[in-house]
Amino acid sequence: MTGTSTPTLHRAASVPDSADGGGRRRGPRRPPGLPWILPALVLSVGLIYYGIGYTGYISTLDWDGISPGPEHVGAHNYTRMLHDPVFWGAVRHTAVFFVLTFVIQTALGLTFACLLHSRLRLSGLYKVIVFVPVVLAPAIMAPVFRHMFAPDGELNAVLRHIGLGDLAQPWIGQTSTALPVIMFITIWEWTGVTFVLYYAAMTQIDPSVLEAARIDGAGNLRTLLSIIWPELRGTTVALAMLGAIGALKTFDVPYLVTIGGPNYATEFLGTYIYRQTIPLSHVGYGAALSIVLLVVALLMALALQFAGREREGR
Amino acid sequence: MRLLPVLAAATLALSGLAACGGNDSNESDASTATSGTVNWWGWTPTDTATANTYIAAFNQKYPDIKVNYKLVNISDWVAALRPALASGNGPDVFDMQPGAYVAQFKSFAEDQTKLAEDALGADWKNKVAPIGISGLTADNKLTALSVGSVYAGMLWLNGDIFKKYNLTAPTTLDEWKHVCSVLKQNKVGCFVQGAAQEGFDQDTLQSIANSVQPGLWSKASTGDAKWTDPGIVKTLAIWKDLFDSGIMQEGAVGYQQYPDANNDFLTGKYGMIMMGTWYTQYATTKAMTAALSAAGVSGAKPFPILPAAFPDVAGAGNTSEMYGDADFGLAISTKSKNKAAAETFVKWMATSSEGQQAIADQLNDIPSVKGVEPDFDKIELVDPATQKGPVEDLITKSASITEPRESLLSADVQTGILAAATSVATGKSTPEDAAKALQQAAEAAGVTFK
Repeated sequence: MTGTSTPTLHRAASVPDSADGGGRRRGPRRPPGLPWILPALVLSVGLIYYGIGYTGYISTLDWDGISPGPEHVGAHNYTRMLHDPVFWGAVRHTAVFFVLTFVIQTALGLTFACLLHSRLRLSGLYKVIVFVPVVLAPAIMAPVFRHMFAPDGELNAVLRHIGLGDLAQPWIGQTSTALPVIMFITIWEWTGVTFVLYYAAMTQIDPSVLEAARIDGAGNLRTLLSIIWPELRGTTVALAMLGAIGALKTFDVPYLVTIGGPNYATEFLGTYIYRQTIPLSHVGYGAALSIVLLVVALLMALALQFAGREREGR
Repeated sequence: MRLLPVLAAATLALSGLAACGGNDSNESDASTATSGTVNWWGWTPTDTATANTYIAAFNQKYPDIKVNYKLVNISDWVAALRPALASGNGPDVFDMQPGAYVAQFKSFAEDQTKLAEDALGADWKNKVAPIGISGLTADNKLTALSVGSVYAGMLWLNGDIFKKYNLTAPTTLDEWKHVCSVLKQNKVGCFVQGAAQEGFDQDTLQSIANSVQPGLWSKASTGDAKWTDPGIVKTLAIWKDLFDSGIMQEGAVGYQQYPDANNDFLTGKYGMIMMGTWYTQYATTKAMTAALSAAGVSGAKPFPILPAAFPDVAGAGNTSEMYGDADFGLAISTKSKNKAAAETFVKWMATSSEGQQAIADQLNDIPSVKGVEPDFDKIELVDPATQKGPVEDLITKSASITEPRESLLSADVQTGILAAATSVATGKSTPEDAAKALQQAAEAAGVTFK
């Protein structure tokens, strides 16, 4: 809808100006915009864009962050990245993490939203239960999960208790299971957001469309796939975008639960930037990683938005 | 009108410069040598109760100097200290450890050579442990006064568990495996290590290397030998065997030494742990009770811990020598606004007989000043009959140790060691490949090899 109306308005606004020959403007005089946007402009340019620019500058230095004489190394920090297996491992973990957490969260969020839109008893209580993990700080939950997934933790205790002792293992102490544990925790934490957004989006679906589908004989699954799911496309694209950016920024859960280990098995770009910048004092390299992270995040957001629009246009 | 923004910018810049100038080290001191407030940050003593014991003893002589101790976990140390020191609002006194920390924080530390001379005389170097001077000196600056030293390269045993199952400390790899099999049969954990933390992996690897070929680890650290040396490859192979044979606990590479492994040992889940002389403090009833409480055990009965030599895991007949560094020196921040009081505190801790005796009696560190020894008449051990002899022997033995622990390694090489250790432990690399990767990491970190 906006795709057609906006250009019309623009053209309408531009006609009097050109007809006027650049002379006096008609209508009430509008105040200049600069004073109104100045506070936000100063804040965003001053803090965000200056920060990005400064990080870009630091990324060309070999610097520990405090020494007075940093050495200019040009693009060396970026070329170093190409040969850094930990960096590529972090990229791989981010991609796997995004795909799996997004798919599972979407499936769970959609299921919860559908179920709670039906006439379920105690639905208010279930909504709270699904959403509570979102408001719990990862710093509080991390020790709980560390304990739960420890070799003598609750998960293994339950497995042994129900006769599945062979499945008991050091979940966060081996490379094969550490990343799935991090993904599990993230899904547990963020499914509530997916659920809330889908739940809200479902309330926007015209009930008469659903009613018409029912009259035409569509069952629950058919209605979900052919009516509800297409109507939720905008929400899904937004969630994918948030999920992609969230995956790129992932830091708290892997840092608090596994510190990026074992053997870098749960290293993400966020944890690797921290590792390089703070404990190892490679501030220049950390800045270069940050710039790459920013560029990838922007590209991913653009790609997802573009994909969403293309589908919408079809 | 256009001048206004320029003026505003100039004013801001000047005020910024003025603010920077305000943090200059020449700023007037808010304290005197006998009064003031000193903020001390450290990762050790690892419990505030021990630090407060030192402070209480200090306040008996200097009641008008208030010392606030802030304990920062060692894993957060760099992240917390760097911005604090850079901001000028950080600690007046902070812990300094030889090696990577000296390299990172030397520019924020006052030179304490004169302070040492004032306290101990011109021949002060002869009066303190040499290991405490070399490791804390960088760019001809004594960045901190050593308070005490720590040594590692041995095991600590749970005396009750070993007594219950009639076991003795293992002296070879086979004996170690036997002890573990007995303990496992009785559903007791054998050996616990936080293999996710580089410092403690280094300790175990250095001990193994000393069993393979004494001194090789230090040579590789200084560049006199390569990390691809067959002795280092064998060290990594034995390290892998510790995991494969079940000596290391399940999931060790996901464990932190503090708090995970420490808590598991103190709660009696495991019979052995790899810790250094700093663990001697838990031989006392007081520290053990506090540690058990901190580990979440309520009303637990303290148990005796016993030091034991690291087994000859290579079977080459080499006694695995211990190694050590200054545990921590106390550095005075160049930006401190309480330098006079800070100097008094550091001098008292590091050079006075009262301060060093307090250090000695805590059994957390071996005192820096020569001739100061723990007063065992005042120290209450959990089980003096079994502990007094081994603990005294350990302290006596420590006095002659010269092999460095971490002071020769930069943060990058330490990261390389951790990567090698965990990649071998998890089977992602062979010992040969891990040694090659470690050699590359050391070369990339600027170590030159002969």
